[in-house]
Amino acid sequence: MQLFEYQAKAIFLAAGIPVPQGCLVQDPAELANVLQNTRYPCVLKAQVLYGGRGKKGLVKLVQDASEALAEGKRIMAAASCQLLIEDAAEIAKEIYVSVTVDPVLGELVVMVCGEGGMEIEQVAQTQPEALVKLHLPVDGNLTLGAAAEMLCKIGLDADLAASGAKILGTMFRLARENDAELVEINPLVVTKRGEWLACDGKFILDDGALFRHPEWVKTRAYFKSDREYAAYQAGFPYLQFDGDIGLMVAGAGLANVVYDMVHDFGGTVASYLEFGGPNYHKGRQCMDFMLAGKPKVVLIVSYGTIARVDVMARGIAESLHENRPAIPIVCVLRGTNEEQAEDILGGLGLYFFRESEDGVRKAVALAAGEGTK
Amino acid sequence: MSIIIDGNTRVVVRGITGKEGGYWTEKMQAYGTQIVAGVSPGKGGATVSGIPVYSTVEEALREHTADASMLFIPPRAVKDAVLADLAAGIRTVVVTAEGVPLYDALEIRRAALALHATVIGSNTTGVISLGKAAMGFFPYWIERIYRRGNVGVMTRSGSLTNEVTAEIVKAGFGVTSIVGVGGDSVTFTRFAELLPLFEADPETHAVVMIGEIGGSMEEEVASEIAAGRFTKPLVASLGGRTAPAGTRMGHAGAIINGSSGTVQEKIRVLQAAGAMIAERPSAIGGLLRSVI
Repeated sequence: MQLFEYQAKAIFLAAGIPVPQGCLVQDPAELANVLQNTRYPCVLKAQVLYGGRGKKGLVKLVQDASEALAEGKRIMAAASCQLLIEDAAEIAKEIYVSVTVDPVLGELVVMVCGEGGMEIEQVAQTQPEALVKLHLPVDGNLTLGAAAEMLCKIGLDADLAASGAKILGTMFRLARENDAELVEINPLVVTKRGEWLACDGKFILDDGALFRHPEWVKTRAYFKSDREYAAYQAGFPYLQFDGDIGLMVAGAGLANVVYDMVHDFGGTVASYLEFGGPNYHKGRQCMDFMLAGKPKVVLIVSYGTIARVDVMARGIAESLHENRPAIPIVCVLRGTNEEQAEDILGGLGLYFFRESEDGVRKAVALAAGEGTK
Repeated sequence: MSIIIDGNTRVVVRGITGKEGGYWTEKMQAYGTQIVAGVSPGKGGATVSGIPVYSTVEEALREHTADASMLFIPPRAVKDAVLADLAAGIRTVVVTAEGVPLYDALEIRRAALALHATVIGSNTTGVISLGKAAMGFFPYWIERIYRRGNVGVMTRSGSLTNEVTAEIVKAGFGVTSIVGVGGDSVTFTRFAELLPLFEADPETHAVVMIGEIGGSMEEEVASEIAAGRFTKPLVASLGGRTAPAGTRMGHAGAIINGSSGTVQEKIRVLQAAGAMIAERPSAIGGLLRSVI
């Protein structure tokens, strides 16, 4: 679960990491009011969970209230999101700092880089030597000495390294306390007055450990669409795209391959509903949900082991008897009790295939307008 | 031969008194797997399918000798169970649970590395050595998927294993061992660590790797091949080539290792190392025929 920037900064501030003074605007109607108490220049930042905000025009430095009002309205409308308004920092130097996990060694890793504000993935690929890393066990401690040494290696003087080390130490503690996959400040700024300022913040919590942190609840704001949120509440992973074919696939690995095949054969994907794991019992609910999204074609693919296809088929049949959909449905249902699945779904006008590839080709042809049921 | 488990492996099953654990324990036993004991806290003294159940692994090992532990338990219970099994001297553990807390998973990975133990998972269907023994969920009775032969399979995806293995069998081949390394973000055993086992197994003539977008496990395999440490033919099937970005762990794993985690990049380094890429599962058979 990724937190919004303003939430990450609230955690930083509470833990003693300085962040720019700012306030959050929830509704465009509040904007004019808030801007009366704003100092200029200031920075307007869309509170969205995807990257590349700057390039998309969703982060903007503004000089006065009228510019702020116009840009603030534009950003909030473009991204339909909350807006963070912050004092602009007077930047002397920017660095990159993060705490994340290393799945290879099974440890936490602290990373710092003298090139702040840049795309750090790019830096890691093109000049890996610019990244200074320190591995520590999950139950380890980041000492101030070790943290300061890292900061000296990227060219900071002893005083800055000593004060910055405290920030690194705090980030390490926050990562452990919150079961974080990633705690990142990019850029961490040294101002012209020589003070530290976390000008951005990224905080990703481990979904598998959210039960230890009941204060974090995934509300509608964390999802791209109402349907994705509704699916989350109903307990099945669901992704909305803008193509033609609705995929109900058991297992993310198989879904990836089916998704590739749809594109390879010239089709497009409307949505993907994860039908595997415990969801195979929810055939009725999943099929209802899929049909409500109105794709041109539904393609169901499974090669189930634990996920019995006869159980899936019963739920699907129930939904189809109820909904009587006009759109074509293609089934590639294999695995435990596969013989029963086709009997259960017989007479409903579905297309059956034994090979995923054949099913995908049929779905793509149907979406392109081949025949009518 | 086969890797990790065979008919001589003596297995303890945790979660044997659960519905799923009980069902698959019977299936594993019917396949020839030696199940020596069950472990369920508080259920010591019970019997499941004729198998004695103990409350702790220590109690079980006082009465039996075991080489491996099979876990059919919820994700939150996994860390304590694996660390207890390792402390008791067991060196092969299979974890089926999905969604083991990340920091628990890191501790398990670190402990496994320190002890040179083979912990498989999490979020895996398990390990099967065809015709010998199985630890996990395998519908081995479906003959068009499960046939003994000379191809090793390692996979990140449970759902694709049947799809891909059926293609291997359709092409006239069979399988030595299937190892599901698992779909959670921290896998306790990584693809590259299975290569020496397949390399040393005289019955394995080629390996099929079922990978996907995200992380760096496929890139590590490419490095092993390029360095000459794995010399058998390897066919990779990688899902997510056209998927939108945003897979879990893509970010952190990518920064640390300087790899992008995209399928395009995985294909590039694997091909450069000499591995073959199956664009779709149906292409695997033809590629295997060209090398076996």
